[in-house]
Amino acid sequence: MKMKKYLFAVLIVLLAATPALAQVKVVATLPFIGSLAKEIGKDRIDVVTLIKPSQDPHFAEAKPSMILAARKADIIMYNGLDLEIGYLPRIIESSSNPKIQPGKIGNFDCSQFVSVIEKPVAIDRSMGDVHPLGNPHYVFSPANILKVAEGMTGILSELDPANAAYFKGNMQAFRARFIEKEKQWRQMSLRGKKFIAYHKLFEYLAREFGFQIVGYVEPKPGIPPSAGYLAELVESMKRSRPDAILASEVNGERESEALGQKTGTRVVILPHDVGNAGVKDWFSLMDKVVESLK
Amino acid sequence: MCKKVLSFTICFLLFVASQSFGDDIESRLKAFEETLRTQGETIKEQQKIIQELKAKLDVTKKEVATQAELTKSEAQALAEKTPAEDKSWKFTGLFGGSNLANPNISLVLDTFGYYSNIKQRELPKRGIPGLTNEGLTNSKGFNIDSAELGLYAPIDPYFNLYATIPITEDGIELEEAYFLTTSLPYGLQVKGGKFKSGFGRINGQHKHVWDFADLPLVYRAFIEGEGITEKGVQLTYLPELPFYTLLGIEVLQGENATLFGPDARSGPHAFTAFAKSSLDIGDNSTILFGPSVITGSTRTTTVADNTEFQGTSTLFDWEMTCKWKPSKTQSFTLQSEYLYRDQKGDLTNTVTSLSGPLKRAQDGFYIQSMYQLDRWRIGVRYDRLDLFKKDFILSGTQNNFGSNPWRATAAVDFNPSEFSRLRLQYNYDRSAGGNRVNNEVFLEAIFGIGAHGAHAF
Repeated sequence: MKMKKYLFAVLIVLLAATPALAQVKVVATLPFIGSLAKEIGKDRIDVVTLIKPSQDPHFAEAKPSMILAARKADIIMYNGLDLEIGYLPRIIESSSNPKIQPGKIGNFDCSQFVSVIEKPVAIDRSMGDVHPLGNPHYVFSPANILKVAEGMTGILSELDPANAAYFKGNMQAFRARFIEKEKQWRQMSLRGKKFIAYHKLFEYLAREFGFQIVGYVEPKPGIPPSAGYLAELVESMKRSRPDAILASEVNGERESEALGQKTGTRVVILPHDVGNAGVKDWFSLMDKVVESLK
Repeated sequence: MCKKVLSFTICFLLFVASQSFGDDIESRLKAFEETLRTQGETIKEQQKIIQELKAKLDVTKKEVATQAELTKSEAQALAEKTPAEDKSWKFTGLFGGSNLANPNISLVLDTFGYYSNIKQRELPKRGIPGLTNEGLTNSKGFNIDSAELGLYAPIDPYFNLYATIPITEDGIELEEAYFLTTSLPYGLQVKGGKFKSGFGRINGQHKHVWDFADLPLVYRAFIEGEGITEKGVQLTYLPELPFYTLLGIEVLQGENATLFGPDARSGPHAFTAFAKSSLDIGDNSTILFGPSVITGSTRTTTVADNTEFQGTSTLFDWEMTCKWKPSKTQSFTLQSEYLYRDQKGDLTNTVTSLSGPLKRAQDGFYIQSMYQLDRWRIGVRYDRLDLFKKDFILSGTQNNFGSNPWRATAAVDFNPSEFSRLRLQYNYDRSAGGNRVNNEVFLEAIFGIGAHGAHAF
């Protein structure tokens, strides 16, 4: 009899420990991924973003707090294409969370929906930090982002079927806004413009909006420029006459400013992700980027 | 007239020529016929092959057609389904890319030049009196620590495997080889095989990620080699608390030469427990801290020359790391560990065979800081032993070994990329009691190729 009572008490405690209202807990690596998930899930999902807007997503560390967040997650959403290779494997492995391990539904690589550009045929590290799976910076690619948002709707509906219609509705609203915004962006005449960029951040944007990146401040991806290389670049810029030098707040601001002063070229510091000054979601990120390039 | 003569002459010449080469032409014709026949045969064979291929192609075409139909119907079926039911997600491996046929492979070369004002033959004898008789192993001049081979990959959906195999001039070593579970519930994780213990902070790090070329004195005094690397099992638990806390226990074979000795007792006889907590302060600062303890049976010859110690050892550790990293180009780290060792047992003089009870309770700490600016880092470190405790009670008598051992270090390193590091380090070392100061200089180069390992905090 006593035994039964004891078992019953244990059962009660266990039941009480499982949360009654279980919202899907999303852990996003990058701010724009968290922001997109929030567009679809609104207040019916919990979103924790690991990388802060002020950080360069190439160079983060697997902080213990990130591992803890991953431990509590139902799903981890990440950029993929090896952008987070320096910390994500450790976060996922150390999380001790079977739900988010590779191959599980909670391991969500956003790049699976992306038409990847710049896939190198043969590379080695003498070429700098080249991303072997292609250019991972599709955040500036409207066509691909729409597909990612659709993919998120699918996975969230799968994790929380009760809210599937709600997520679908939010996706429809997102798509409507997307179509309207894209029209606006297309009207900005970026076609034929020429830019120098610090890092290979804007290749997707260039393809979709028909402008050209004619040179890079970095001699090789991830390698800061030497004085000799900069002198050559200054020479080539005299010939190519780019409209501006593009850099981001975490990637090459200082070097680009110096180059701008030397050549008298306009320097445009673009936000690289949601959460940078005045950028509250992905649409305003694109607004600001397209506006700055005009 | 002239034309006639000319054409006649040509005809005549041709006739003569055909006459004189008639035999040759006949043989040539024969040869030609022969060639034609063989070629005809070849063509026949080829036609045969072409027909075969055609037949095969037809079959393939049919197959493709049926497959296309299948895919069509599949696509229709998929389209009819709602996206929620679509389970055909593409997955990315834990370490990115595709890694089916080969594990991730990396090789790290660690090589350094070493200078000391102490004579080469004195270096191996330069222990820390009262703590360890193990001296310095570096050679003056060029040294190769190792070319360290790293292999890792998921085994299946339940385990990952890691192996670290340093290749040194003495041969191949198995530093680490362990499995790690990935799919246990409740935040549990099991590690088994041979691995670096979760004890302390630097203990878990590989040599090439150390902030300095050598280990702090506390590690040299209490632990042999590059830390506690043992055969055994580890269980960790990461509870869902508001802040990060990792709890772990280990059962180890207990073979570390200084801490336990290789043959203190048969069977596993070292036990570890540790806790690590971490808090973020703002977006840019993180602290990590926690205690560790390892205890086990000991039988070593490292207390002093010509002695053997048999008893039990317990080593406590308190670690603390603060890191401020506002951007990728700038960071500051402050790190410290305090270690305390308690040892009880009998010390035997192996020459005289005289034996007496020995009780040692000794401690020490290090504090180090690194400042990184762009591709440069500068670091300073202060080491001190016998900080609060320096009990060395042999047969009831406290032995004194002179002034407290200490050392000061400064280093600067340049990192051309994530995969290369050049370091210059200077040690002012007063750890050998009243003996001479050791002025040490390291010029170290570390290079890594192959798989890109993730950075731990």
